[in-house]
Amino acid sequence: MSNTWYVYLFFSAALIGAGVYTLLAKRNLIRLFIAIEIIGKGVSLLLLATGFARDNILLAQALVVTYIVVEVSLVATALAIIINVYRHTKSLDIRKLAKLKG
Amino acid sequence: MIVQTVLLVGLVLFSVLALIVKDLLRAAISLALASLLLGIVFFRMRAPYAGVFEISVVAGLITVLFILTIALTNAGEEVREARLANVVFPLFFVVFIAIDAFVMKGLLQKIPAVPGAPESGAFGEVLWKGRTLDLVGQIAVILAGVFSVLALFRKRDKHE
Repeated sequence: MSNTWYVYLFFSAALIGAGVYTLLAKRNLIRLFIAIEIIGKGVSLLLLATGFARDNILLAQALVVTYIVVEVSLVATALAIIINVYRHTKSLDIRKLAKLKG
Repeated sequence: MIVQTVLLVGLVLFSVLALIVKDLLRAAISLALASLLLGIVFFRMRAPYAGVFEISVVAGLITVLFILTIALTNAGEEVREARLANVVFPLFFVVFIAIDAFVMKGLLQKIPAVPGAPESGAFGEVLWKGRTLDLVGQIAVILAGVFSVLALFRKRDKHE
């Protein structure tokens, strides 16, 4: 692969690393979801960079567009779940979800 | 490549800012700015459709959804984060970046590019003709999203 591709790989690894750390360390549900979004950004950057380096930009672009459309669906569902969790527990703390009912 | 690197550095900075800033509203706006920079990076990689989607959908629509959720829950501040997590993050990130750079330097020229047929045609042809089955899957995912939101926000019956 070309040297440019490694630069993109470096930056997407940085995004994914920061996102994974936050997923493991933080407790606020919205913050955790922002971390998932950032991991997604790293992955889509890497997808497009690989397509760019291999002259397959059209296919990579189609994959990224598909990913973005699916992401919107995911975000809408996840945020609806977060709002419902808040209505039930009156908090966004993920530790309060440890208590299961039934 | 210099402009591209500056944009990528900005992307990582705004993303990290979205993860560490205490106010959730500011975090959502940082995420939108990161998406905007990523969209510009896509444009510069000759991927205008992905750039348009990234800027309009991710920087626009998803940010609005985030801000709406923050306004509806209004409880971002009361979650007590572990103090150690905030202190360790800068240290972790610097060490991670150093290891990342070291590994990338070691990997230079070592990953072979798998030979493939060069692409031809327009983006529309690749998007609609190259994909058949996953398009059905995508429609299913969008419908599942719509139905799950409807199910989550339905009005409860009185005897329920």
